[in-house]
Amino acid sequence: MSVEAAIFILRLLAALSLIGFLALLFAAVWRSMRQIDQQLAAARTAYGYLTMQSRDRSKPPGTAQRYPLHAITTLGRSASSTIVVNDEFASSIHARIILEADQWWLEDRRSRNGTRLNDAAIEQRTLLADGDVIGIGKICYQLSLDAVSES
Amino acid sequence: MRQPAQTPANRRFAYLLLVFATISVFAGMAAISLTRPSGPGLWVGLLIWIASALVGTAILNRRLPTHDPLLFPLVMYLSGWGLVAIQGLAPPFAERQALWLAISVAAMLLTAVFPHLLRWLRVYRYIILGGALLLLLATIVFGRNPSGFEFAPRLWLSLGAVYFQPSEIMKVILVAFMASYLGEQSAVIRADQTEPGLRIPFLPRLAGPMLSMWLLSMVILIWQRDLGTAMLFFIVFILLLYLTTGDFRMLLGGALLVIIAAAVAFHLFDVVKLRVDIWLNPWPEADGRAYQIVQSLMAFSAGGIFGTGVGLGAAGYIPVAHSDFIFAALAEEWGLLGVIGVLSSFAVLALRGLSIGLRHSGRVFPRLLAAGLTLMLVVQALMIMAGVLKLLPLTGVTLPFISYGGSSLLACYIMIGLLLRLSAEAAPIRHAGAL
Repeated sequence: MSVEAAIFILRLLAALSLIGFLALLFAAVWRSMRQIDQQLAAARTAYGYLTMQSRDRSKPPGTAQRYPLHAITTLGRSASSTIVVNDEFASSIHARIILEADQWWLEDRRSRNGTRLNDAAIEQRTLLADGDVIGIGKICYQLSLDAVSES
Repeated sequence: MRQPAQTPANRRFAYLLLVFATISVFAGMAAISLTRPSGPGLWVGLLIWIASALVGTAILNRRLPTHDPLLFPLVMYLSGWGLVAIQGLAPPFAERQALWLAISVAAMLLTAVFPHLLRWLRVYRYIILGGALLLLLATIVFGRNPSGFEFAPRLWLSLGAVYFQPSEIMKVILVAFMASYLGEQSAVIRADQTEPGLRIPFLPRLAGPMLSMWLLSMVILIWQRDLGTAMLFFIVFILLLYLTTGDFRMLLGGALLVIIAAAVAFHLFDVVKLRVDIWLNPWPEADGRAYQIVQSLMAFSAGGIFGTGVGLGAAGYIPVAHSDFIFAALAEEWGLLGVIGVLSSFAVLALRGLSIGLRHSGRVFPRLLAAGLTLMLVVQALMIMAGVLKLLPLTGVTLPFISYGGSSLLACYIMIGLLLRLSAEAAPIRHAGAL
């Protein structure tokens, strides 16, 4: 076999194994991306919802807005919050509701005007129950939890 | 929390990747042995590479069963590729590089399995940084250049026949320092940010380290004429500050400082002026000061889509191509295919490194450490690849894992060791429904 032919075969071999290596690499990246996507989808499942109850009497009662409740739901005026609170008394990062150890908790995130639970200001993270009313500024949200699905 | 079921697949996968890498590196070495005069050193280099890859994978699988299975085969492939390229360009350097590779992989394994390292990096950060700064100062006083030219930058310390570049190790230490400092401050920074109307007080806490970092970079730049490293440190630092604060103004402020520094350096230093001049237009001096960059561009065009073939390129025309310009040599022999291969390898490295950080939820130090190490490697790779292609002015840093250079290789592998350790301790990616 001539040297040229041997070099050509080696070149082909090197190029093919490079492509094979990259294909494997991309397959692995693709797989882990899929897993992350599924994980995020699981985190996005709604466990219930919050119903906004404005104290503004001018609006008719049927227009209450509903927000899905996630495992980590943030409330605040900033646009990056899960639930954007349009109230002049709300801080940009105001409060959050989290699921921890199969319990729902309400936390105030050092907001300027505080967060109320059933019309009482909360000092520390507080356990939530179905039907509780969370108050931020002039806006109230009523919590409705779905029947707990044990995993 | 851990997922033991993931491990056997991990093991097989790392070895499978290595099989492809070995075929590729073997074919490259064999082609060079047929086209270029070469001694037995070539096969010794190949054997050292294979041994390092096998021993490394075996020990990682045994000691850190939950580590990221992509990282080590990926960087080993890049190193093997570099070894083949160096063998073709400058055979005596290839033997040294193979030895440094074995030392680097050993250092990586030690870093990855050493039990308290991460805590020590956090707790003793001032002592470690102080020691590294002393080493850097020592280069200003006792620095040498292995090439022996009078006006070459003196960035090396010599220990007998071994030359060592402290600024490379400084990369690891600086990232660890920044991660632990910002990690400690992040709670306060976040609290300041959530306070409405209190936007000013967090400035000294960040502007202080930001400006002193900038000063340190300028000192390295002025005394050492090490433009690339100074630039690299500062860019990575700005990116880490941005990651900590999530504040876009950090990027704007950083860019402003870089522009000021570049303008000052352009007027003060001939080296910088020269680099910018030949970046803007290399052609009038194609035979003189811009020879290297022009030859590099020629190499890219000669490579075409599939390249000239391993061992058949004429990259020897590029002066010292085995160091900073190795990307041009690869582009000539492997063509567009090889360039895409290198770029996607670094892209996957960036993706995996950053996702290791993301998987450390709640703890700021490991998050920032993983992100910082990854950014350090990837930004450096982008800087030199863009420099060789005349997209940016040349900054004289090495291409991580591929270029010739012992201390650079050592530092890169220590960073990978830390990333592997962080990946083994991160929360695994959970399947849907496990939440």
